[in-house]
Amino acid sequence: MTLAHKTPITPLDNAFTPEGGKQLPAPLKSLRDIRSKAITGMALPNRRTENWKYSSRYLKLDPELAPLTQATGNADYRSVEGTYRLVIRNGVVDLESSSLPTGDGIDIRRFADLDDVTAQGVAKKLDTTLDHGTTQMAALNTARLEDGILIRLSADTSVDKPVYIQYVTDAGTSGSNYPRLMIEAGQGSKMTLVEEFISNGDQPVLVDSVSELLLDDSANITYIRLCMDPVNVRHIGATGVRIGANAKLDSHCIGFGGDLRRHDLQVRLEGQGGYTRLNGIALTQDRQHYDNHTAIDHVVPNCDSDENYRCLAADRSHAIFNGRIHIHPDAQQSHADMNNKNLLLSTNAEIDTKPELEIYADDVTCAHGATVGQLDEESLFYLTSRGIDRDTAATMLSMAFVHELVGQVPLEDIREAVNTRLTDFIEASFRRASE
Amino acid sequence: MLTIKNLHASVEGTPILKGINLEIKPGEVHAVMGPNGSGKSTLAQVLVGHEAFEVTEGEILFDGQNLLDLEVEERALAGLFLAFQYPVEIPGVSNLQFLRTAVNTLRKHRGENELDSPSFMKMAKEKAKQVDLGPDFLKRGVNEGFSGGEKKRNEIMQMLMMEPRLGILDETDSGLDIDALKTIANGVNTLRAENRSFLVVTHYQRLLNHIVPDVVHVLAGGQIIKSGDKQLAMELEEHGYGWLGINEAEAAG
Ligand SMILES: Nc1ncnc2c1ncn2[C@@H]1O[C@H](COP(=O)(O)OP(=O)(O)O)[C@@H](O)[C@H]1O
Ligand SMILES: [Mg+2]
Repeated sequence: MTLAHKTPITPLDNAFTPEGGKQLPAPLKSLRDIRSKAITGMALPNRRTENWKYSSRYLKLDPELAPLTQATGNADYRSVEGTYRLVIRNGVVDLESSSLPTGDGIDIRRFADLDDVTAQGVAKKLDTTLDHGTTQMAALNTARLEDGILIRLSADTSVDKPVYIQYVTDAGTSGSNYPRLMIEAGQGSKMTLVEEFISNGDQPVLVDSVSELLLDDSANITYIRLCMDPVNVRHIGATGVRIGANAKLDSHCIGFGGDLRRHDLQVRLEGQGGYTRLNGIALTQDRQHYDNHTAIDHVVPNCDSDENYRCLAADRSHAIFNGRIHIHPDAQQSHADMNNKNLLLSTNAEIDTKPELEIYADDVTCAHGATVGQLDEESLFYLTSRGIDRDTAATMLSMAFVHELVGQVPLEDIREAVNTRLTDFIEASFRRASE
Repeated sequence: MLTIKNLHASVEGTPILKGINLEIKPGEVHAVMGPNGSGKSTLAQVLVGHEAFEVTEGEILFDGQNLLDLEVEERALAGLFLAFQYPVEIPGVSNLQFLRTAVNTLRKHRGENELDSPSFMKMAKEKAKQVDLGPDFLKRGVNEGFSGGEKKRNEIMQMLMMEPRLGILDETDSGLDIDALKTIANGVNTLRAENRSFLVVTHYQRLLNHIVPDVVHVLAGGQIIKSGDKQLAMELEEHGYGWLGINEAEAAG
């Protein structure tokens, strides 16, 4: 934890009272209490906190952001065809609105519904996927835990359709919520998980979400994270993943900017033959912010990682990418490839990109590249010379920039929905700018 | 249809076009010939509105409108089309998406119905076939990984789709073998109509055997130094540019 003694410290716990968690089974309640104590006096990340350097200025925890769990509006429970649905509203699991997979080997329960033995097991595993030195706000999630969902797949279980989790925030009044997900994928199990964050209402709201994925040997998880909250939602999210031998995580994180957007994705390759692909797209416009921090730990030999993040920043917005690859001393024969390409759509936008490589093994390949560019004028000219207006042409070229990554989103329906939403978002930005 | 009066244009402060006068009537095909660096592409790019070229003097009237007042896309909608000498590659934008957007924008502008997906596909496949491009080219990125010849065919295919009032071809023949040249010439010839004109820019005469021009101009040093009928192109072919006192090496000056 970085403490900046010379600047006035805003303690994390000071923002609002830590009451709650009464529904939780004893082991989880007790973990909550421990975290609450631990963050007492802990500083809110500020500009001297290295991993919040570019983002702390967007982080404001006002008293009005006290935890809010009551539904205040009509949530948009759009069901997505061909998927199971799980609704988490203001951090609280809404089983009535959900339609969950059933069957042998699939165990899905709210934290509140866990028996003590299971809760004990979950409490031991919670918070084990994330580096606490860099995810201060994840500790706040545990300290404010109200509810959570556990998805357990036993060995060789495949879930036949994607599990689509909708995190709905009612932003009719200001407040904050703390959704929590824990996935334990047993040996050789397989599932596709979609996390979509949405919101209704226009009041300032903080969402502090944590998702933890534990992949046992040969497990295979496809993870699609859609951060689609409106601007008034300040979203701090963390996804922690531990990957066992020959297991695989295929991750696609796609999001729009807002008053504050932060996603920490931390993946540990802990068994030989593990593989992860991390794709990401972040779009910002107006005065929005988006900060992607990823960390891949190659802990053991013979694992591969491929990372490809792209950001587009328009208007006066600010996008940040920080990609850390840590190859541990034992992790010989690691192959890590990290690529971050960025597109500045306006000279007033800001993009900060920083690869961080820590390589302690000698027999590895580790490639990385980061670029910041602008739309190609000759391409724009070519398109407009065929009668296409400049805004449409610029939108087409911006979408071309993320085309490859969108094309890799595994589910056609989701891929098309993503494509449409990205196109609309970018086009709106160009149209506004040229008005 | 197109009237160019005393056109001067420079690039990065260097004058390239130094007083061009040209009049193209509906239905006519004009050829502009000239050695490398004489300003042929500059003329073509100025017509469609490339911003690297600054018009310093003169005017261009297209169907009575002042062309220089129009944005690039407005010129296209008005009926101007340039088949580029060096078409750009745009990975990530499929030929199909690009063409459909362009064609439907144009149709909307002309007060016609936008084409739905099946009728657009049908038309696109037909036109692609006309220039010997397989349907798989439609799915690829715009010009992405196309050979030189495929890029040229793609330009002509676009022209067939967009049916411009004035088609400008900038060295569409360069780098093509004789079969490809004929295919492209056929494509252009199917578009020839009373109401449609062409400006064919070329270094060599051979294209003009297949797209027969009404008027041939010779451009050198940023000016049209001679105009004539198709016979002029043949004589140039026979005697070379030196015949007109043009020193090819200094043509750009
Ligand atoms: N974008 C440009 N920037 C700088 N110089 C240019 C540019 N385009 C053309 N020129 C110059 O203008 C002159 C005419 O070029 P161009 O019109 O391409 O000739 P042509 O097509 O007849 O070969 C040449 O001297 C060339 O170097
Ligand atoms: Mg040229």
